[in-house]
Amino acid sequence: MKSAPFGYQAPTTIAEAVGLLAELGDGAKVLAGGQSLIPMLALRMAVLDELVDIGRIIELRGIQRRDGHLRIGAGTTEAVVGADPDVAAAVPLLTRATPLIGHFQIRNRGTLGGSIAHADPAAEYPAIALALDAGLEVVSTRGRRTIAAADFFDGFWSTTMEPDELLVAVDFPVWTGRRGFAVEEFARRHGDFAIAGACVGVALDDNDRVTRCAIGLIGLGAKPERPTAAEASVVGVGVTDVVADDLGRLAVADLSSIPSDLQGSARYRERVGAAMVSRAFTAAATEARRD
Amino acid sequence: MTEIAIKITVNGRPQEAVVEPRLTLADFLRENCRLTGTHLACEHGVCGACTVLVDGAAVRSCLMFAVQAADREVTTVEGIAAPDGTLSPVQAAFRDCHGLQCGFCTPGFIMSLTALLRDNPDPTDEDIRVGLSGNLCRCTGYQGILAAARQAAPGPAEA
Amino acid sequence: MTTTSPTAARYAGSRVHRVEDARLLTGRGTYVDDIELPRMVHACFVRSPMARATIVSIDASAAAALPGVVAVFTAADLNGGVKEQWHTSSGEEGPETPRPPLAEGEVRFVGDPVVLVVAGSRYIAEDAAELVEIDYEPLTPVVDYTQAAEATELVHTSHGSNIIGDLGAFPLSTFDDVFDSAAHVVSETIYQQGYAPVPMEGRGLIVDHSATTGDLTIYSATQSPHEVRMFCARLLGLPEHRIRVVMRDTGGSFGQKVMVQRDEMCLMLAGPKLGVPVKWVEDRQENLLSAGMSRREHGVARMAFDDDGVIQAATIDFVQDCGAYPTPWPVMTAAAVGVFFPGPYRVSKATFQARTVYTNTVGRTAYRGPWQFESLAREVLLDIAARRIGIDPAELRRRNLLRKEDIPYASPYGMTYEQISPMETFEQALSMLDYDAFRVEQAQARAAGRYLGVGISNYVEPSTPGYGYYGTEAATIRVEPSGKVNVHVVGGSCGNSIETTVIQLTADALGLNIDDVATVQGDTAVTSFGAGTAGSRSGSMTAGAVGQTATILREKLAAIAAHLLEAAVGDIELTDSRATVRGTPTVGITMAEMAKVAYFEPQKLPPGMTAGLEASSRYTATDTSIFVNATHVCTCEVDPVTGRVDLLRYIVSEDCGPMINPNVVEGQIAGGVVQGIGGALYEELAYDEDGNPVTTTFADYLLPTSTEVPIIEYGHIETPSPGPGGYKGVGEGGAIGAPPAVVNAVADALSPFGVTITRLPLSPARLVGLLDPSTRAADGSDQ
Repeated sequence: MKSAPFGYQAPTTIAEAVGLLAELGDGAKVLAGGQSLIPMLALRMAVLDELVDIGRIIELRGIQRRDGHLRIGAGTTEAVVGADPDVAAAVPLLTRATPLIGHFQIRNRGTLGGSIAHADPAAEYPAIALALDAGLEVVSTRGRRTIAAADFFDGFWSTTMEPDELLVAVDFPVWTGRRGFAVEEFARRHGDFAIAGACVGVALDDNDRVTRCAIGLIGLGAKPERPTAAEASVVGVGVTDVVADDLGRLAVADLSSIPSDLQGSARYRERVGAAMVSRAFTAAATEARRD
Repeated sequence: MTEIAIKITVNGRPQEAVVEPRLTLADFLRENCRLTGTHLACEHGVCGACTVLVDGAAVRSCLMFAVQAADREVTTVEGIAAPDGTLSPVQAAFRDCHGLQCGFCTPGFIMSLTALLRDNPDPTDEDIRVGLSGNLCRCTGYQGILAAARQAAPGPAEA
Repeated sequence: MTTTSPTAARYAGSRVHRVEDARLLTGRGTYVDDIELPRMVHACFVRSPMARATIVSIDASAAAALPGVVAVFTAADLNGGVKEQWHTSSGEEGPETPRPPLAEGEVRFVGDPVVLVVAGSRYIAEDAAELVEIDYEPLTPVVDYTQAAEATELVHTSHGSNIIGDLGAFPLSTFDDVFDSAAHVVSETIYQQGYAPVPMEGRGLIVDHSATTGDLTIYSATQSPHEVRMFCARLLGLPEHRIRVVMRDTGGSFGQKVMVQRDEMCLMLAGPKLGVPVKWVEDRQENLLSAGMSRREHGVARMAFDDDGVIQAATIDFVQDCGAYPTPWPVMTAAAVGVFFPGPYRVSKATFQARTVYTNTVGRTAYRGPWQFESLAREVLLDIAARRIGIDPAELRRRNLLRKEDIPYASPYGMTYEQISPMETFEQALSMLDYDAFRVEQAQARAAGRYLGVGISNYVEPSTPGYGYYGTEAATIRVEPSGKVNVHVVGGSCGNSIETTVIQLTADALGLNIDDVATVQGDTAVTSFGAGTAGSRSGSMTAGAVGQTATILREKLAAIAAHLLEAAVGDIELTDSRATVRGTPTVGITMAEMAKVAYFEPQKLPPGMTAGLEASSRYTATDTSIFVNATHVCTCEVDPVTGRVDLLRYIVSEDCGPMINPNVVEGQIAGGVVQGIGGALYEELAYDEDGNPVTTTFADYLLPTSTEVPIIEYGHIETPSPGPGGYKGVGEGGAIGAPPAVVNAVADALSPFGVTITRLPLSPARLVGLLDPSTRAADGSDQ
């Protein structure tokens, strides 16, 4: 089980990297942490002409708190994201979801940007980026732009980035006030991709009415899903009046491309997904009420 | 494809080679360095048998190309015991607790646990189980391994 | 045998550190892939992507032209070299599956080896394999084994049928009168999915042939180096003594490496054509595609009970999927499922039918407790029966288990169970759990909306086959001139600690300090024939071999010591690597001094004694089997929303006789149990309806990890066997007892829902499908 041959470039700056992507064209692929790409190469499910290794670009790493936002460099490893106190304070969903990503050896190599750019619908970070309206900052030789998460995920392992664009940072809005967050996943074994999962953020006013609800669904479609109707259904409602199981059912009601395989039918995943939304909402609401 | 000259410090010794970019770190260690203690049991990043430390961080050496490890420090299972052959606390605990049978997965467990206990010297049972869940063993049912991890944990740091 | 008896066991029974560990813990083991020979080349197979197809043409020219490629072989190049192919345990006259090394004319499963590519590195060999162009004409495959017997398509046309064999006792209707008049009859069809041994190290071998000398050396991942040698000698028509097979460390096997399969035959055939050593190490995808399946089978299990729940009769109608190329011939093992179906219970009326069929899937291979379906079917049926009759499942078992006063007990098929203790292990395991307290806890949990369950399984298994190929075992014990001791046995360890075991036994038998003993194993050049690791035989058989050989040496040592110390032979004791005179422990002579005399001063030996200090002997088993029994008890919690199963406690009470090393015994039990848990809950070697395997990576084939397994609690009952030391085999039992215990625990947890579980694995989706049929896949694939 050995990769087919490929060429290798290891730029040390973003400018150099995007220059290479522009020059090498379609046969080139960005190598970030490699924890998804390298298995595909080993299995020869992917055969590529050139890998552009962005692991030596220092400017892709780092975590900065800016007014109302937390900006995380795409090359920041999952291990760093999971352990960072600023992340824990500003975007707790990331901190709570990180231990669910594979195993710690994977998180030592895997990066936030790699996970989001790979856009696996069963992965945690893409669903969080979507639920929290993150901005995805991409750079090419043509310049820099920010893609809203709602516009970023395009399909299975597919994004709206152009082939010559490099994801350089992710900008997460920071919620303030009374808020709570939770991630619930159901996987066959610890560290496996979830059969279904949900990340939920809830904000409350002083009267315990829901002012905001964000839900990201994991493993329930070709891409991370956001059930906006379900989110809207609880806004303005007293949090103790929300029937979490009903919210869960509503959140999965309109999904049209739930996968079906050896680990379960689409109907089974829908059931589990509803339960995960329900459990995550309950946990997030409990946390928000304590805030 | 163009081969690339690299230098990797392995168990404290600089190792130089000219390699194909596709050569995994695991194959570099096994074939170029003849350090065959790092085992390959899946080559797609699930089983953990090939776990080594790169700049101190436990990683799967089948999910890293040797070129990515250039100019870094790698520690393998051969570099864990004391120079006089005394087993490390983790290795000794595996021996004491029957933490291995066929031994094929063992180097990966040793490396993972060495990193885990360095970063968390007083783990809960749950910490140990979760921390070792990225390493597969088919012989022991994990019983001896979990016992070894408890034995090897240094315990709470002195205040 | 009047002179010296073994000294009191000093090491047997104690948790001696393993001698294997120092090398394995430091990365100094020697697995096949660690061996590097000068000029060695590397092999890779091109395997069939289709379940069944005619090979129209093969164009390997591009592959052969790739720089670095040494050779490309097809069936036309290799298959003609086969002289004979049969496994020693099946015998020359035994019926056999056709077993072409490379697929010839037709491919019969996805993964079927079609072309062998050899290159300077595995990387290049894989590059070349991609360049081989094979034109296939698809044929309709036989995928569903339950339909194979009636299918018009044939897996092996030459066999004339997809039925490999039917074996049975009496007709299944024999006891119909008993069933017709019984107070309760319970019958269920129980399905077990295909799963596999999945050793962490795949198969692999290096074949090194010298054209000038004619010598062939094979380094092999195997359970039995002598079988590899005998097989290779027959395959190539080479004299056995010119072949040497070496195994050092083998990374697990559990049955999968017990016999040579087609892939290894290809390497043996290719080696002599290459003129340089050639290595093949199976990667994980190959292992899951091609190394073999076990377990895929079902049986209609039926029992009749009287009003009190006492078993009146038991029958099983069993069908087993053997894939396209089973290794070994599977018919007898399938019959064992029927023979052991009555289990450790008082059952006087029983019969069975056992059918084995070919399909276009990977061939069946041996796996830890190859007949374990008998326990799964029986124990799952007993729980279903208990619920239907309205008796607690523990009580139903208690009413039927063999009691001390029933033993010796003749099974309905004429085996006599002696030296077993089913009721004792059962009661011990229940008391370790505190069964009654668990039932209270369970009731409280249910009231709170939580679903706990307890599952029990009892079994009796035959270990240590004592006939034919398996029936003898040899040891050579050599006191070296320094007085240090090497014991040579063939071993065949794939992790079973037989090096440590043999050293413990030898040290005890000769009164040696354990550090004075080492062992040489796994090399046909320096060990006598032995069948290796199989059938839970290593402990008892090597104990027999070491014991018998040590007796010869003990006599000689005593005679030498008596002569040199001017004492009576009968007064000599061997202890602490010395010979002393009974009652006068200060008077003695060290092993080193005796060895010096034996090798360098033979004139000082007793008159007429030959020089040297070495003995060899071959032990012959006295019984056809050594029976072992155990009880497994498991508790769990099930989440009815997701179908998640959490195992809470796991208890094994086993009667393996005296333990040579409790660490090793417990390790074997734990490993087997977790494999059984894997089979019950996680693992499945699955195919789609077209015969495409869908679990060919470790992301899809789910092995249990450290987060899924409970702590295993051990209870021991000790009834010595009639064999050497009273030891019994303990390698396989864990994998036999665990699946039914887990299934029964889950079924018990879900009993308030009135569901009946008859199909494995108990994936969350399958469990939810039982509770809510609307979640089942439309094609029924998850139910």
